[in-house]
Amino acid sequence: MSDAVSSSIPYRRFGNRTILPGFHLSLGYTLIYVSLLVLIPMAFLVAKVFTEPFAATWAKITSDRAIASYMLSFGASGIAALINGVFGFIIAWVLVRYEFPGRRFADAVVDLPFALPTAVAGISLAVLYGKNGTFGEWVHWAVGPEAWRAGWATANSNIGVTIALTFIGLPFVVRTLQPVLEDLSTDIEEAAACLGATRWQTFWRIIVPAILPAWLTGMTLAFGRAVGEFGSVIFIASGVIGRGEITPLVIYTTLEEGLYSQAAALGAVMLVFSFLILVVVSLLQAWNGRVTGSASV
Amino acid sequence: MSVVIESIHKTFGRFNALEGIDLKVETGELVALLGPSGSGKTTLLRIIAGLEFPDDGPGNIFFHGTDVTERDAYERRAGFVFQSYALFQHMTVFENIAFGLRVRSRATRPSEAEINARVNDLLGRVQLTQFAKRFPNTLSGGQRQRVALARALAIEPRVLLLDEPFGALDAKVRKELRRWLRAFHEQTRLTTLFVTHDQEEAFEVSDRVVILGEGRIQQIGSPAEVRANPANDFVRKFLGLDDESELLIPSPLHEGSRARELDAV
Amino acid sequence: MATSATTLEPAPPQEAPRRRRIPRKATTEPLWVRLLLITIAVGFIAGFLLMPLFIIFKESLLKGIRVYYDALENPHAVSAIKLTLLTAAIVVPLNTLFGVAAAWAISRFSFPGKRALVTLIDLPLWVSPIVAGLMFVILFGRQGLLNSLFWSGGKQVFPILFEPAGIVIATLFVTFPFVARILIPLMQAQGSAEEEAALTLGARGWQTFVYITLPKIKWGLFYGIILCNARAIGEFGAVSAVSGHIQGLTNTIPLHIELMYNSSQMEAAFALASILSMLALLTLVLKSFFGWQAERQAKEALESTP
Repeated sequence: MSDAVSSSIPYRRFGNRTILPGFHLSLGYTLIYVSLLVLIPMAFLVAKVFTEPFAATWAKITSDRAIASYMLSFGASGIAALINGVFGFIIAWVLVRYEFPGRRFADAVVDLPFALPTAVAGISLAVLYGKNGTFGEWVHWAVGPEAWRAGWATANSNIGVTIALTFIGLPFVVRTLQPVLEDLSTDIEEAAACLGATRWQTFWRIIVPAILPAWLTGMTLAFGRAVGEFGSVIFIASGVIGRGEITPLVIYTTLEEGLYSQAAALGAVMLVFSFLILVVVSLLQAWNGRVTGSASV
Repeated sequence: MSVVIESIHKTFGRFNALEGIDLKVETGELVALLGPSGSGKTTLLRIIAGLEFPDDGPGNIFFHGTDVTERDAYERRAGFVFQSYALFQHMTVFENIAFGLRVRSRATRPSEAEINARVNDLLGRVQLTQFAKRFPNTLSGGQRQRVALARALAIEPRVLLLDEPFGALDAKVRKELRRWLRAFHEQTRLTTLFVTHDQEEAFEVSDRVVILGEGRIQQIGSPAEVRANPANDFVRKFLGLDDESELLIPSPLHEGSRARELDAV
Repeated sequence: MATSATTLEPAPPQEAPRRRRIPRKATTEPLWVRLLLITIAVGFIAGFLLMPLFIIFKESLLKGIRVYYDALENPHAVSAIKLTLLTAAIVVPLNTLFGVAAAWAISRFSFPGKRALVTLIDLPLWVSPIVAGLMFVILFGRQGLLNSLFWSGGKQVFPILFEPAGIVIATLFVTFPFVARILIPLMQAQGSAEEEAALTLGARGWQTFVYITLPKIKWGLFYGIILCNARAIGEFGAVSAVSGHIQGLTNTIPLHIELMYNSSQMEAAFALASILSMLALLTLVLKSFFGWQAERQAKEALESTP
């Protein structure tokens, strides 16, 4: 009994009295686990970067090769996020609003990019969009061999990178939009109609503003995931230094070559980016709470 | 603007929500659709607004002699106030009220100045002038209710339709709003139908009461007529006139409504 | 129109069957829009998601079933499968335990820094797997700041980097958010009233957990475990960075697939890929099922606590 009393003191300090057990055990375990797996490794990566002179680090993260890789990673991820913004919305809308045969199946398949190992997706996409693959053959035929070589190739190219990043990003947009569309009360659409708005006006003026934060959240998540993606991209990317390398690939090759401080510097840049994505997402979620009028989630 | 409803039928699956409704509401009348839940009163209101459609057949709906049965909701110009108010959360009070004017086609859309003037006038009439820039989720229930009403009035509706307008409010606000609505109607004389399950509310506010039950109109008449001469057992039972020993019998208006309010909680 | 023209008599107006225009519901789109959108959505899902899956099975069986089996019976493939299963067998239970503990602490108590902790738990999902692997290479590597601790005489003190242990650690990192992220919102929705009731009835802490909490969260728990397991088996980037690619020792299935693909042994690569794809399909089926159940449990909890 005295044990229980003394152990309840720490959280009384935080204005939270409870008879539930296990506070110290569960929180302690969580903190140790998170420290060992996340905080310490991350701290040592950052420390490694700071043991180098700043000018040297700066030179590493702004080298031509690094800059070219940022442009490809961010550019292709951005385009992929936009494509997913359009098709992800249509898929979410159709899955929530319409009844059609195979709807449940289609709904389940949307998660395929989550479930399929990235390397498996990578080799499959590389074959499918390669010159002899089903889709690659069509494109090759449609644009002709010269245009294919000149930059229209769907594999071994930056177009291929965009295709792979679109593949892995799709579920983020669909799964973020679906619950919001489900919760959207039909009342406001009916009210808009009664006030004389056509369906098109209702869509742009009522539905889009209500789901915009979730829409942007989904696209941000797809973008953030795409920038860090590795396995599904490297097989379909050309990997040409200075033109066809995504940033994770540059990190990987420099690491293989034993250039640890170079890899660490680029890794730190990507870590900063990951934090930025987290910040943007939490801001978008706060906005979403205001728009939908619900404090939860 | 009169509203005429002719032999409207509505089934949901195998459930007959409405079985042959005929009703004429005169210009400037304030009519209550009163009935227990499941009586079809909200369905009827939604059919008038064009949010729900009657079964195929002979049924028709006329707004002042014009057949609107085949018109979509956005073409009917019926002001509808939802039980949940259905305010647009991402718009200010002002923009909510202006919405119906802004979505008009360019040819009929009022100028920005006219919109401003009309919205400000409405804000004044519903006593919300100082809330123009606020967002709906910062308002009280009674204030939201009045925004919804102003928004419906902004389009100069041919008929005003209110679905349980006081349902979601607490007892005191509800009382005030009832009187206010009656006074408001005296000013505007807009043809109005409102749905309620609360007989005191219906009797106090309306010119005529339409009692719905089991998908049919059981009785139409002024509050006094209905109370004095219930048409059938259904009406007697619904109004609580059946059981002499009940406390709610004829007129003690306050007791009756309080008892029902407690029920509703 | 053509048929009614045979009679010259105008039909009496009341009898005429009225061809009615059925108005459209205010909450839906015209039929052609609906059909168009459904076509786009289904087409995109079929072409963009299902086609790659189909290609895997097609390519793996291109040279016949014999080659397929040979690819799976190759000793390096077998050792890759063993290492992958071993990794999952270590990682999934550890991360499940962590997920339950973290969800309990976060959903049941309030303490300073809670939001930061939740953010940290989310972080591995947004860190590039390559960066994740890199962190451990730097931490345990010879060039790292702790080399005096982990290295002596040109050798590792503990066999971590380029050893199975490194693979397990990297996989732990990339998969540890899954269970916790599913359970935290679920347990927050459910609240702790039932646990408190059990405790006031004299149940001990562990009894409360086993008899009250676990049954309430079981579907969410399964759901998280399935996701964690799928990622553990399929992880490529993080593992790739720490593995050293030693055939027969530190190659997992995805790494072995890469090796086969790059050495143009396509059938072997796709044979192993098809195994992982079947696992992914199983994951999808279980995920849908557990997901529905977990949703139901969360909804019930929300409805019963007004």
